Amino acid sequence: MLPRSAQKLEMTLVSYSRQRLPRPARLYSTPSKTVNAPVTAFAQVPLPHPDYPPILAQRELPVDESSHLFAMQGFLKRRTPYTILPTPLPDDRVSSLNSFYFTDSPTQDQLAVMDACLHNLYDVPRAKQVFQQLRASKSGESLLESRIYNSFLEAYIDMAYTKEPEDRTLWVEDAYQLYDTMEKGIEKVHPTSSTYAIMLQAWRRFNPESETPVHLSNMPNPTTLLSNLMDREISPTNVVADRVFSSSEEASDIIKLLSKAAVELNFPHVLAELGQAESLGSHVPDPLEDVPEVNPVTRLNTPSEETLDESGNVIPVQTQGEVPFNLSNLRKHLAQVTLARRVLPEDLASRQKLLEESVYDVAVERLRHEAKVFDDLGLGGRELQRADLQKWMWDWHQKLKTRLEAEIKEIIAAEAKIASNKTVPRMGPFLSLVKPEKLSLITILEIMRLQGSGGVTDGMKTARALLTVGRAVENEYKAEMCKRNNIAIPSHARPGEFTGYFTGLGYRDLHARRVTAAKYMEDSEEWTSEWTQLLRVRVGSILVDCLMDTATIERTAVDKRTNEEIKEHQPAFYHAYEYVRGQKLGVIRLNPVVSERIAKDGVRETLHPRHLPMLVKPKPWLSYDQGGYLYNRSAAMRFKDCQEQQTYLDHASALGNVELVYAGLDVLGSTPWKVNRKIFDVVLKVWNSGERLCKVPPAAYDQPEPEKPQNMNDIKAKSVYGTRLKAYMQDRANNHSDRCSVNYKIEIARAFLGDTMYLPHNLDFRGRAYPIPPHFNHIGDDLSRGLLMFAEAQPLGERGLRWLKIHLANLYGFDKGNFDERVKFVMDHLEDVYDSAENPLDGRRWWTKADDPWQCLATCMELHEALESGDPHAFMSYLPVHQDGTCNGLQHYAALGGDVKGAAQVNLSVTDRPSDVYTYVASMVEQLIEEDLKKGDKYAIMLAGRVSRKVVKQTVMTTVYGVTYIGAREQIEKQLKDRKDLPEEECWGASAYLAKKVLSCIGDLFSGAKAIQTWLNLCARLISKSIPADRVPDALQAPSRKKRNGSALTRNRIRKEQMSSVVWTTPLGLPIVQPYRKTKRKQVMTAIQSVFISDPNAPAEVNAVKQASAFPPNFIHSLDATHMMLTALECRTQGLTFASVHDSYWTHASSIDKMSEIIRDTFIALHSSDVLGKLATEFRTRYASHKVPLASLRIGKLLKNLEGAGVRIVTSSEQAAALHEDGCTSFDNIMDVSDVEAGSIAQISTSPEDSKTTEISQKVKVPKPKRGRPFKNAAMIQGEIASLADEAGEDGAGDEDTDSPLSNKFVDLSAVLPPLPKKGDFDVETIKKSQYFFS
Amino acid sequence: MSSPFLLRRAFSTSIRCSYRTKKIPEDIITNTLATQERKRRLPKNIQDIEEIKPQAESQSALTPKVDRRRKRGEVSLPDNRLDLPPLSKWIDYFPTTGIALKGRISLANPETAALVADSFVPNGSRDKVIIEAYPGPGALTRALMQLPKERIRKIIVLEDTEHYLNFLNPLQEVDPRVQVLPMNGFLWDTYHQLEVQGFLDDVETTPWSQSNPYLHFISHLPMDVLGEQLIAQLLRCAPAQSWLFKYGRVPMSYLMHEWVWDRISASTEVLARCKLSVIAQAVSEFNLSIVPQLLLPYDDHFYPAGIKPTYSSKAENRRRGTPFVAGTLRPLEHQIIQSDMLDKWDYCLRKLFVLKSTPLKNAIGHLAPGADVLKSYLTSDDVPAEQRTDMMRIIRKLDVEDWAAVVHAFDRWPFAPEDLLVTDSFSRDERI
Repeated sequence: MLPRSAQKLEMTLVSYSRQRLPRPARLYSTPSKTVNAPVTAFAQVPLPHPDYPPILAQRELPVDESSHLFAMQGFLKRRTPYTILPTPLPDDRVSSLNSFYFTDSPTQDQLAVMDACLHNLYDVPRAKQVFQQLRASKSGESLLESRIYNSFLEAYIDMAYTKEPEDRTLWVEDAYQLYDTMEKGIEKVHPTSSTYAIMLQAWRRFNPESETPVHLSNMPNPTTLLSNLMDREISPTNVVADRVFSSSEEASDIIKLLSKAAVELNFPHVLAELGQAESLGSHVPDPLEDVPEVNPVTRLNTPSEETLDESGNVIPVQTQGEVPFNLSNLRKHLAQVTLARRVLPEDLASRQKLLEESVYDVAVERLRHEAKVFDDLGLGGRELQRADLQKWMWDWHQKLKTRLEAEIKEIIAAEAKIASNKTVPRMGPFLSLVKPEKLSLITILEIMRLQGSGGVTDGMKTARALLTVGRAVENEYKAEMCKRNNIAIPSHARPGEFTGYFTGLGYRDLHARRVTAAKYMEDSEEWTSEWTQLLRVRVGSILVDCLMDTATIERTAVDKRTNEEIKEHQPAFYHAYEYVRGQKLGVIRLNPVVSERIAKDGVRETLHPRHLPMLVKPKPWLSYDQGGYLYNRSAAMRFKDCQEQQTYLDHASALGNVELVYAGLDVLGSTPWKVNRKIFDVVLKVWNSGERLCKVPPAAYDQPEPEKPQNMNDIKAKSVYGTRLKAYMQDRANNHSDRCSVNYKIEIARAFLGDTMYLPHNLDFRGRAYPIPPHFNHIGDDLSRGLLMFAEAQPLGERGLRWLKIHLANLYGFDKGNFDERVKFVMDHLEDVYDSAENPLDGRRWWTKADDPWQCLATCMELHEALESGDPHAFMSYLPVHQDGTCNGLQHYAALGGDVKGAAQVNLSVTDRPSDVYTYVASMVEQLIEEDLKKGDKYAIMLAGRVSRKVVKQTVMTTVYGVTYIGAREQIEKQLKDRKDLPEEECWGASAYLAKKVLSCIGDLFSGAKAIQTWLNLCARLISKSIPADRVPDALQAPSRKKRNGSALTRNRIRKEQMSSVVWTTPLGLPIVQPYRKTKRKQVMTAIQSVFISDPNAPAEVNAVKQASAFPPNFIHSLDATHMMLTALECRTQGLTFASVHDSYWTHASSIDKMSEIIRDTFIALHSSDVLGKLATEFRTRYASHKVPLASLRIGKLLKNLEGAGVRIVTSSEQAAALHEDGCTSFDNIMDVSDVEAGSIAQISTSPEDSKTTEISQKVKVPKPKRGRPFKNAAMIQGEIASLADEAGEDGAGDEDTDSPLSNKFVDLSAVLPPLPKKGDFDVETIKKSQYFFS
Repeated sequence: MSSPFLLRRAFSTSIRCSYRTKKIPEDIITNTLATQERKRRLPKNIQDIEEIKPQAESQSALTPKVDRRRKRGEVSLPDNRLDLPPLSKWIDYFPTTGIALKGRISLANPETAALVADSFVPNGSRDKVIIEAYPGPGALTRALMQLPKERIRKIIVLEDTEHYLNFLNPLQEVDPRVQVLPMNGFLWDTYHQLEVQGFLDDVETTPWSQSNPYLHFISHLPMDVLGEQLIAQLLRCAPAQSWLFKYGRVPMSYLMHEWVWDRISASTEVLARCKLSVIAQAVSEFNLSIVPQLLLPYDDHFYPAGIKPTYSSKAENRRRGTPFVAGTLRPLEHQIIQSDMLDKWDYCLRKLFVLKSTPLKNAIGHLAPGADVLKSYLTSDDVPAEQRTDMMRIIRKLDVEDWAAVVHAFDRWPFAPEDLLVTDSFSRDERI
């Protein structure tokens, strides 16, 4: 159609699109820019940028380091952009603003219903009905976006075309009406390129000349559509490439239609663009071009190997010359241009895609295959015994599939009888989203996988099981949707003109790229809705109930009386109730024979790829729920049943506040790993031998059962026996679950042998990063860590060799000496190292005595190989070497407070030897015990000489995170039990004794940290008591009066309005929301039991105690997470491989020196940025309008603590007098009465009309704070509750006396925030020279 | 070397309840006795008894800590502690807060105490050996001492709370029949020690076929959950004839909360029926020893005074001030629970009472995987028609015979779980 000129043009454009990565400016603009500009001009734009050739652009640019650091420091010192959202409203209040940010569950449910009903045109009339309700009610206004409207347009058109051709005219008319609404913008929703694509499709199908003509007068023809879309500056190319078109033929037709219209409208540039699009589609892009770092996959040895060949994922063969128009080619081109990054080459991604998309098919195939093998072997064969599990699963699957088909049919039939106007929850649409065959397998696999979770031996909590199965169905449906459109996956690539993460330019660039990619992904995916917890539980319960009903196994036992062998068919899963701490809890348990099998048989089948490492670099994080696995939705943050967290993150992403967090996650996810084959072989040998060795639990539990006392009538002996027996049983059960978990690890490691793999990461709500695959990752135990190593090697070099030795000493447990001593330690034990490496199992097994035996063995082997290689310095080392913070929490506290003494204890200051807090505390405790020993104390005698560093370590470490006495006692008990040298029944008493000693020793050791902790705690306490100013009038309203027994009636609803959780922003811009609120669970009746679930969409008032006590540790965690992210980014910039386990940073041995420097630089940069000062400022800004009820300040010791922290409230003498009049003197100690600078009193009345006026007219003028003492100003608002003045219901029962005269008095939150504790003299710059800061 | 009574309780949950209990150093009793011997020879000056404490305390850092309180200016003890002070002063000497003291309720009215004592050890009793646990300040102990002497030969008082001991120790000085031991009635070890130290050497063992006329256990039941556990555990000793029951069918008398009594005596028709009811009814017969009205209103008879309810709510029945009753339980001669079957009884009761309003038919499957098959054990054709269990009956309404049938079927079933203890335990680590 377009001859030569176009061909030429195409060449230019192609080269442009691939080689020239567009600059940010271009990304800000919409693609429509191209439409306005003449095409030729666009194509001929000279390339003014002195760009690096594409290959170079992928590499690191030579970066000047100091300028780098400077940029980072500048970045950290800038005013952190806040993400500020309104405080959620109490559940009995609504506002449009609130529902804009926080969707409630009923609305969310309606969306899900629409989604499910639209899917495959399941029940479009019902979807339409819900849609109209939502549009009319306005409650979902904020949620109804163009994509949903488009989905409906599409559904209407499809209904007319395929499902109900007899009502064609009606459906088409509906579509046109909806289009019209969009075009006119009546409902704030505007057409997008998809809208036009759908309407063009409609025209193509139903125009008067077509085979299925619809005669409507107002039908917009292509000309109208084209002119409309041009008005909206939408690119016709995008319209043509829209996912609505499923075949090249359709797209080709549309190009014709549009071209014709363009001719009519005399739009030559449109004509040209369309021609270009057509020729683009005829060109096959070469995905491997300029991909130097990627080697094509040569081996395909995943378990899915068998099916891989059969399913034949055909990669388009590259042909030269004439290619007919192909829609997918066009799309690829566009993706590359839009994404501004290379799209993941198809064949590289194909294995991962295959792994993710066909998981259930593969599992079915495997099970079918194995079942067949067993059948061939005949029943009763020995082989059969070996793999019961697979055979059972196949069996269950067969039965469950049939059962589900019938069940779902029944449900649908039953639901069809319900009158359409009734709002009964209908499950039919949801159960039809995924085929019964998959539903069945999802259920089986998820239930098998969950066994042992939640602390239930051989089982799981019912509520969790139902939720998980429901969520798995939801995920599978979304994954199917996701892959249906074959969306291009953006890959990691450094932008061409990378200027560093921390420069303004670099940052904006990151943002622009991410936003474009996220938009692209969203556009090319069909709209799907989030499910509510309730819906998940409902779907899950139907499936799990069917499974429990159908899955059986055969079990044999011997009758004790007759000695006959008896066979019984028993359910494989059964339901039971337990009492846990007085609470009735439903659990689903596995039949003992099944759970026994899980510890032995291959369990690989039960794992979904979203629990496995990835074969390609994870998809970069594009938004809070886009990233990581290619098809399977995973969230960037693990939300704790808290919609607020999700909303904050979503908005922070939209505002571009969290680019570096996403970038950091991408860095962590792109670290390549592989399985350490040598270690794997040893582990496998140990596993198969069934013996116990270094955390590989034995196949059969090997400890002797406690001896039964001879005289069971001796109650005391019996009770001692009971305690021991219980411990024994518990240990045996733990052994079983350990065995299961090691089984998983080995299976996964086996599957990935020889592959390079990647661990996608996400965050917990404090911003700490974790790998998503739960079973096998580098954060796991010693065994997992030992099995993993970097996939890329680096030559050791001299320093690397030294670090390798130090690493070995650290792993062995010799980490208290200075570096030279550690090196000497290794050299002294070189013989042992060699023996361990050469004969790991048959030698002296020196390595097994190490603190971390498997990592130690790996290091022994690496060191041995290096030393034996002839040239150790040139040896290519794969092993990650660690640098750990010494008591990292305290390090941050010391740096925050400038605490000289504390800094010395945790190695922030310069010393020759590492200082070790744990040993210090341990010896202090020993001294105390020594004293008790003289008194002849029983426990002192028992424990003397046994208090090692290890026993107290965890407790000391967690003190800074606010460990309680109970927690400490449990930690110590565990340690004492592990020592095995105390009688079981004494451990508890001994740990109680020891916990007291340890806590008292720690007491004033960390006084520096204490002041900051208190400050953080007080701030959190005040925030969680505060109420936004605009809620105050409402808070003073009396609650609706239906309190039982007429007692305890409160005069206001202040407590109900205390909805503010503590929110802060990390230096990287990540908003952290503490999720702690009163638990409010809803009872849901299911077929199995009634379960109680919480609704994350319905926030309750905050739990002030938890908010306050958890804030200091959470804040410190958010800081260490920031430090880690900064380090990760900086390591990437400088080209180091990097991995981390919170405060343990890993890289190649040869890069340790470099990384150490980075660690220190980032720490200094972080702590030079006045972290606490910025936090205080943020609180003042974020909670600027918040008021604290005076009554809330009087609880417990709060007032006294505030006084201690230096809080002063300035009041006028009037205010003070008013307080005294009411008989309240408790505030005297923190009140400064001053009429010179005091704020005036505002009256809040509850009658709505005058409340506003008085409030505004008498708005408290907060006096200008004097510099340096900004806390001295206060304003009190006194409200008079006219309507309730005569109410006299005194009740003193509550701790928070809401009925006192104080109840209507408030003080500004910012006025009572305590001043920051004084900073000490420690200078963080010192750390630069501290050797043992991280070591 | 002591373990709490919670034997079974501790098996079933991960809660550690022993925090209330105190450790008894092995030799404390010997020492106490030695001191007492010495004291006996000294002139009976009550103040001298003070000396016992410092010595006893030096033996154990864990004896109750009262010194601290006293330093804070607490009232010093009266010289005469043989008689209890007037009720109005009790608050000075007997604190009601603190984890060990919160649940303690004691008879306070001497007249009522006399009534109760007489009902526990009525006319006709001879040469009884009384073991009294949780005596509190000792109103009941004093009343027992004042009964005609021929009725009681010995009173062993088990109390380990310092505040109470102050007013108990003087008693043994004036009456050689009384022996006050600073031990906790909640610990198995206490009874072990009683035996080892020879306190029960002179107690006659009587055959199970007849009631033991001598030994008698008397206790105030602590108000908190431990009280109920105590009585439940002691009842469980009857089938195996352990604890004091090795001396024969020893009666137990308790002053207990009305709601505990309601649970013990709950018939199949009552909502309160629970595991405790089934066990109590399987192993013992019981009756109230005095008319409950005689102990009402609460405040006239007991210490500490009740808390005024601000509003009434059913869940608040454990509040101080709800009525107390006095009752006696006597082990049955014919024990329906065989001594080695107790664990299975416990298992079945625990598993099924979770579903107490569910018909047996539907509930029995929750016992263990495949337990639905037990239905046939209970109702199949080879079971005589009159012995078949009514599967439609709800769990709460099963009587002791029904339970015996269920447990028997469970015992015969080859697939019954072996680890009856660990099946419902949760691992300590409740994270994923």
